Amino acid sequence: MEDDPGRRRLHFHRSPNPLCTQMPADRKIIHIDCDCFYASIEMRDTPAWRGIPLAVGGRPDSRGVIATCNYEARQFGIHSAMSSRRALTLCPRLLIVPPDMARYREASNRIMQIYGDYTSRIEPLSLDEAYLDVTGQPHCRGSATLMAKAIRDRIRQEIGITASAGIAPNKFLAKVASDWNKPDGQKVILPHEIDAFVAALPVGKVPGIGKVTAERMKRMGILTCGDLRQWSLAELLHQFGRFGERLHRLARGEDEREVSVDRVRKSVSVEETYATDLPDLAACLQALPELLERLRERLGRAGNPPFRGIVCKLKFADFTQTTVEQIGSAFDDAHFAQLMQMGFARGEQPVRLLGVGVKLAEEEATIAAQLPLFD
Amino acid sequence: MLILQAERDALLKPLLAVTGIVERRHTLPILSNVLIEKKGAEVGFLATDLEIQITTASTDALPGEDFRLTTSAKKLQDILRAIPDKATVTLEQQDGRLTLKAGKSRFNLQTLPAEDFPLLPVNGTSDAAFSLSQRELKRLIAQVQYAMAVQDIRYYLNGLLMQTEGNQVRLISTDGHRLAFSSAEVEANLPKAEVILPRKTVLELYKLLADSDDPINIEVLANQVRFSFGTTVIISKVVDGKFPDYNRVIPLDNDKIFLIERVTFLHALQRAAILANEKFRGVRLVLKPGAMSILCTNSEQEEAEEELEIGYSGGGLEIGFNINYLLDVLTNLPADTLQLAFGDGSRSALFTIPDNSDFKYIVMPMRI
Repeated sequence: MEDDPGRRRLHFHRSPNPLCTQMPADRKIIHIDCDCFYASIEMRDTPAWRGIPLAVGGRPDSRGVIATCNYEARQFGIHSAMSSRRALTLCPRLLIVPPDMARYREASNRIMQIYGDYTSRIEPLSLDEAYLDVTGQPHCRGSATLMAKAIRDRIRQEIGITASAGIAPNKFLAKVASDWNKPDGQKVILPHEIDAFVAALPVGKVPGIGKVTAERMKRMGILTCGDLRQWSLAELLHQFGRFGERLHRLARGEDEREVSVDRVRKSVSVEETYATDLPDLAACLQALPELLERLRERLGRAGNPPFRGIVCKLKFADFTQTTVEQIGSAFDDAHFAQLMQMGFARGEQPVRLLGVGVKLAEEEATIAAQLPLFD
Repeated sequence: MLILQAERDALLKPLLAVTGIVERRHTLPILSNVLIEKKGAEVGFLATDLEIQITTASTDALPGEDFRLTTSAKKLQDILRAIPDKATVTLEQQDGRLTLKAGKSRFNLQTLPAEDFPLLPVNGTSDAAFSLSQRELKRLIAQVQYAMAVQDIRYYLNGLLMQTEGNQVRLISTDGHRLAFSSAEVEANLPKAEVILPRKTVLELYKLLADSDDPINIEVLANQVRFSFGTTVIISKVVDGKFPDYNRVIPLDNDKIFLIERVTFLHALQRAAILANEKFRGVRLVLKPGAMSILCTNSEQEEAEEELEIGYSGGGLEIGFNINYLLDVLTNLPADTLQLAFGDGSRSALFTIPDNSDFKYIVMPMRI
């Protein structure tokens, strides 16, 4: 059970693409996602819920968490992954409805079909969110901007909800841009605009820089990607470990990652960086139920796929991290607690980040089944 | 100050006996060290990971002062390995540093105070004690150790169950898919006791046992087991947990029974395994009067087929297994002939040695 430095991101592991094809000089990437997807579907199907604060999520009495909420609810400071109980404190008249995955999945299938009408190079990130590589596509006279517009129009007409898009030469910028004019909007970043756009971009908008890292950067005097550029690669590596290398590129608007079509999701996980480090094992164990609830919620969203192992990840105050995993296909809170204990023992120091996840079973595993000795 | 002079092997051999358990990275830095202690003519070596502790001593009488120190086990081992084997090694200690000289080589190493080295507390009197030859224990372990679980969430399976009762000692391991059992008679009248030895302890012990008639003494203490052989002592914590009842899974009414040459079967499986699915390692055995076929296919639809003649006249059967579970038992058993007993395609198979109740291997099939 060694630390695997290659497993820094616990989130969605992807299959490596062994044949890294030559990257065209100027790609056209669209990042698109629907605006508060689950909540939008609910409001579409129950018009009475429009205009009032609405969230989709778990019940507040059972450690439930918010999966999505509409823009009315967001005005109260409610956001996804927040506990339902906390959300109700912020907005007592918030209406929380349980998720209905079947309906969301049905809408998702149709949305993915619309994406498919414009390109076959689609990298789905969730039910509604995807990267589309439309480089060289003939639609809309080859204009990615018009294609994004057309896709959003069709989602509005055919599904009855709104979507936002970002259009840029790479995934990083497309993702940032799709957030720019949300909801129901889109933003284009043209190649000659990249430099100025990124220079002014607040670091908190960069995917991978969370609240805690942004706060740390602020203390270092880094507010924008422009500020980040003043730091050498060596300094960034020193400050942020391996993430420093990526930061160095992102600060220059560079992101060579391909839209990977054959991405296979190998694990599902959630993690949380704590504003103040968790001082001891007891504090970690106390934080565990909320993480597990979020993991359950995310697994539910993925259709409760079979899994073959569970993982706990801990990042310590000194930025070293460890992952502990064990084989097993049962979701048992006690097992996670046991792993967390083992992980904590490796560091015996305050913890800044906790993650929990499951490793998904390979699909074929259902074809050949080893029978157990003990039932 | 010169503290020791010795031929390389007089230090390297005992050092290697204890360093197998040293963790490469540990939260407690001193645990990557080895404790070296000279008392009179004897030089002792001790290493621990807080679960297991191994001590051993150099068998040569060595001149020099008495001392106790700890230094990096890995570095000392690498240095001693790298210098010529008949070289004379001298150790000098000064200001918390250890200097090792051999010929024209010189190494200056950090040390940590021996007083800070954590030793496993030894737990009082033993519940059961017995001895047998190292060769015998090595044979018993070899027959079962491959079936221990690895990192299973059922932590008590990541080890080996040792049971004593009367003059019987039994070793049982299982990963939940197959189970291996071996037993032996010893000259003792033992109380009924059982402990689970951690996987790491079992593998380390197995590595250190010699093929000799020299005895090994085994003592079961409150929550420890102590193995003493030659100048070596292994003290290990035991796994606190309830091992599954193996008697419950031994199939008693399997009626499709035949004998098979172990090596013939092994070689046929090894050939077929070349085309077994790399992920699931499935193999199908097809039984009919007089013959057993072995079939493997992989994800590219390639196929291997072997046929073995057997003295069998019962009903037909087709049953799938993880081929590794079959290769494991066939590789690790010293017997020439095995008895196989099958029930139906969804029930466990029993492998035994004819006219011998000291070994059993039970394996569940795989649906292919």
